[in-house]
Amino acid sequence: MRRLEELRAEFDKRKVKVITISTDLPNEIADERHLHGLQATMLSDRDLKVTDAFGLRNTAFHSGPPAGGAEALPVPATLLLDSAGKVLWIDLSKDYQRRSDPSVVLNAMQTYFD
Amino acid sequence: MLLGTKLGVGALTLAILTTGLWFYLTRQVALPNDRSVFVLAWMCSAFLGILALIKGTSLVGGIPSALAIIVSSFLTFTIYISPQKVDVVSVIKVGDIIPKFQALDDREIIFESKSLNGHLVLIKFFRAHW
Repeated sequence: MRRLEELRAEFDKRKVKVITISTDLPNEIADERHLHGLQATMLSDRDLKVTDAFGLRNTAFHSGPPAGGAEALPVPATLLLDSAGKVLWIDLSKDYQRRSDPSVVLNAMQTYFD
Repeated sequence: MLLGTKLGVGALTLAILTTGLWFYLTRQVALPNDRSVFVLAWMCSAFLGILALIKGTSLVGGIPSALAIIVSSFLTFTIYISPQKVDVVSVIKVGDIIPKFQALDDREIIFESKSLNGHLVLIKFFRAHW
């Protein structure tokens, strides 16, 4: 999240709306927001309805906390959408410990938004 | 200082250094694809910790050994379970229109996906803040 905020000027230049979706509860998102400072609409999906609608539930080993959390987790993913809601680009993490550098997202925005 | 205690301190030092670098690279979104160096370092740390306990430590000296074993084993385990997989049939694809959805934001206000109409959008799914 903190690294994604490095692209703030690029988002603003293109008037890109940034949405995040995670299994955090709303109050957890509010509590943790200051850690990364991301200016985005941050949504809670503890019941995985949105994750499942996008088909992004991780079906491999569930590596979340053993109790109190969501029953599964989304695969980390970044999507770019056009103004009609069509998916132009997807970056799916094959490994939750490996994330794409913000430069990958910037390259995709330059390719698909410019 | 007993030999075991010295080994235990060495094991914990190795675990701390390796783990520190791990979390630094994680924060920088810069973990390498090949993480075998980390696995090797943590396994060495755990091995040293076990060796320390076998050699014999003082009561307090056993703590670094145990910590080294626990931390190194756990973080090696997280690498083993980190691969991700989605259902290839249901996963959204390039060219698809996103499904309609609604969800609560951090102020517990309902967000409707239709509010995205007419805008360029980046959606980021992530697991959780922890």
